[in-house]
Amino acid sequence: MGYLMSIPRVERPRPVLHGPGVPVCTSCGKPIKPYERATHFLCPNCGKAEIWRCEHCRRTGNPYKCPVCGFEGP
Amino acid sequence: MSEERRETKEEQGLAPVPPQEELLIAIERYLAAGVRLGTRVSNAYLQRRGFVFSVRPDGLRILNLRKIDERIRIAARMIAMYDPERVVAYSAKPYGFKPVEMFCKFVKCRALTGRFIPGTFTNPNLNHYIEADLLISTDPKADVQAIEEAARMGIPVIALVDTDTPISYVDLIIPCNNKGRRSLALIYWLLARQVLRIRGELKENEDLPVPPEEFEVKVSLEGISQ
Repeated sequence: MGYLMSIPRVERPRPVLHGPGVPVCTSCGKPIKPYERATHFLCPNCGKAEIWRCEHCRRTGNPYKCPVCGFEGP
Repeated sequence: MSEERRETKEEQGLAPVPPQEELLIAIERYLAAGVRLGTRVSNAYLQRRGFVFSVRPDGLRILNLRKIDERIRIAARMIAMYDPERVVAYSAKPYGFKPVEMFCKFVKCRALTGRFIPGTFTNPNLNHYIEADLLISTDPKADVQAIEEAARMGIPVIALVDTDTPISYVDLIIPCNNKGRRSLALIYWLLARQVLRIRGELKENEDLPVPPEEFEVKVSLEGISQ
C-alpha cells in the first residue's frame, strides 16, 4: 500500500476543446444536454447576461442568480 | 426623541435608509383590488424569499406589496425584450379571460383563453400551432398543459403565482392574488402600462386610455359576461 501513496500527483493542463461550447446551468453549474428540456433567456432585470436553466432546476424551482446584476429568480 | 435616535444611528456608523421607490399605482388601489391576499397554504419558497409579508391569525398569507410592485416592473422589462407577436398570454380561468385579452390588445401579443388544445406549442402539423418565445401564465395550477408544452419546447414562462401555486417550470414569478377578478385586472393593467412605457409608446407618467375596471370580467346574475 505504501508505494501507492508515494506516487506524486501531477497537475495536467485541461485539454482545449474546439467547436461550440456546452451551455452550463446558471443554478447548479452542470452542463446541459442537447435533448434536455432546458431554457435560456436574458436576465429579466438587466438584460445583459444570458441565463440557462436545466430541466431539473426548472422542475424543482431551483433559484438562479444573474452574474451581472445579482438578480435572483424565479 | 427621533433626533436622538438618528444621532445614535450615525454614531454607530450605520448607512442612512434609502428613500423607498414609489409604487406603480397608489397603495389604496392595490389594497382595494386585494392584490396582496394570498391563501392559507404556506409556501416555503415565497416565505424564504421575503414575498410573504405576514400571516393573519386565521392563517391567510399576506404578500409583500413592494415585492409585487418590483416584480411587475421586472416582468414588464422581460416582456419588452421579446417580439410582441411571439409572446403568448394564456388563462384557463374565466376571471382571466378579459384581463388577458385586454392586455394582448394593448401590448399586441397573442391571447389564448379557455381550453389549451394539446399540441399548440409542440405539433407543427396542427393549424393552430404557435411558435412562441415567451409564455405568460395566469395560474400555473390551472394552465398545466400550457406550462408542460412550454417546458418541452424550452419556452421561458412568466407566471402569476399565489402561495398555493406550484412553481415548476416557471422562470419568473409575479407573486400576487391570481384568483380575484379585480386583482387579475389590476395586475394585467399595470403590466400592459409598464410594457408600453418601456417601449416608449406611453410617456413616463402617462396612463392607458382605459381604467383598470375595463380589464375586469363583468359578473351579473345571468353569469359571467366578457
